[in-house]
Amino acid sequence: MIGCQGRIALLCIKKPVLTKSTWNGHNMMTIIRQTALKASSWTVYGRYSSHRADVASSTSQLLGVTRPYLQTRPFKTGRIQDDWRQKNKSLMMYIGGIGVLVAGLAYACVPLYRMFCQATGLGGTVKHGSETVAQMKPVEDRELEIRFSADTAASMRWNFRPRQSAIKLVPGETALAFYTARNPTDQPIIGISTYNVVPFEAGQYFNKIQCFCFEEQRLEPNEEVDMPVFFFIDPEFAEDPAMYKVDAITLSYTFFEAKDGLRLPLPGYS
Amino acid sequence: MSFGSPGGARSFKVSPPQKGSFPLDHGGECKEFMRKYMRCLRDTLGENTKCRVESKDYLECRMKNNLMAKEDIKNLGYGDFKPASEAGNA
Repeated sequence: MIGCQGRIALLCIKKPVLTKSTWNGHNMMTIIRQTALKASSWTVYGRYSSHRADVASSTSQLLGVTRPYLQTRPFKTGRIQDDWRQKNKSLMMYIGGIGVLVAGLAYACVPLYRMFCQATGLGGTVKHGSETVAQMKPVEDRELEIRFSADTAASMRWNFRPRQSAIKLVPGETALAFYTARNPTDQPIIGISTYNVVPFEAGQYFNKIQCFCFEEQRLEPNEEVDMPVFFFIDPEFAEDPAMYKVDAITLSYTFFEAKDGLRLPLPGYS
Repeated sequence: MSFGSPGGARSFKVSPPQKGSFPLDHGGECKEFMRKYMRCLRDTLGENTKCRVESKDYLECRMKNNLMAKEDIKNLGYGDFKPASEAGNA
């Protein structure tokens, strides 16, 4: 007699309890109690167990019926959560610290390595001195040709030229080369020179013992003077695989007029 | 610039000359030695090995005339020569 639809069908009572004879006041409570009991006896393991449990608990509260239902235990209490949070934070600090340390080491490596190489001389940093020149042995089987070229800046009025076009030598042998400069004007001119080595990579093996570069040289009017360059090619040149095909090195000097504010172009990267 | 160059190549450092700059020979005192050296180079077609005596003589002339700091010629790479009596002794 009571309509059964959908979920509510579960609440349907099989037997109609509402009959004409029972429809009066004092039987109403009986009907309600029976309905409640039927509902609460439904297993909580069913699909609508939560719904049923709610219904059951609220209804049982209504009727004062207590039933042991599945109760969920809290997974973490407040105290345990705080403890975990503390541990996580300290762990994160440790990991962060290690990360920063490693990054810092990576950056510090470059100057540290360079300092180490300077101190121990490993990796090819050569300490030059007169002792190395005295102990230097010429590498006989590698003959090189050193070519000379001379240049002046556009505004420089000196005549500047090399005295020899080329010299044949071997690495480890000291050599002397001459340039001539002449001041054709009738005023004293102060010049300053810089040099260049081609090929560029051979420049690191070009060692000057004495020359006329980077210092101001004064020429009186109509004066001509010889300027020597005393140099050698480092014997390690013969062991460099990059220099295997290099047979000729060109040394080129350029003279500038020494003026205030002159920025001399230096060989290599600046 | 020259960080991390491959193969451990040395960086090209601009360095001043080891013994500094030659003072200019304004008076031409060693011009004769220079001429002898140039003549030798011309004759041998630029062979430095054959003209080492002349270059050594030029440097010794310079040292004698105070145009170069006195130095043992061994330190100038002429170790295979016998040091000269006056100029070579440091």
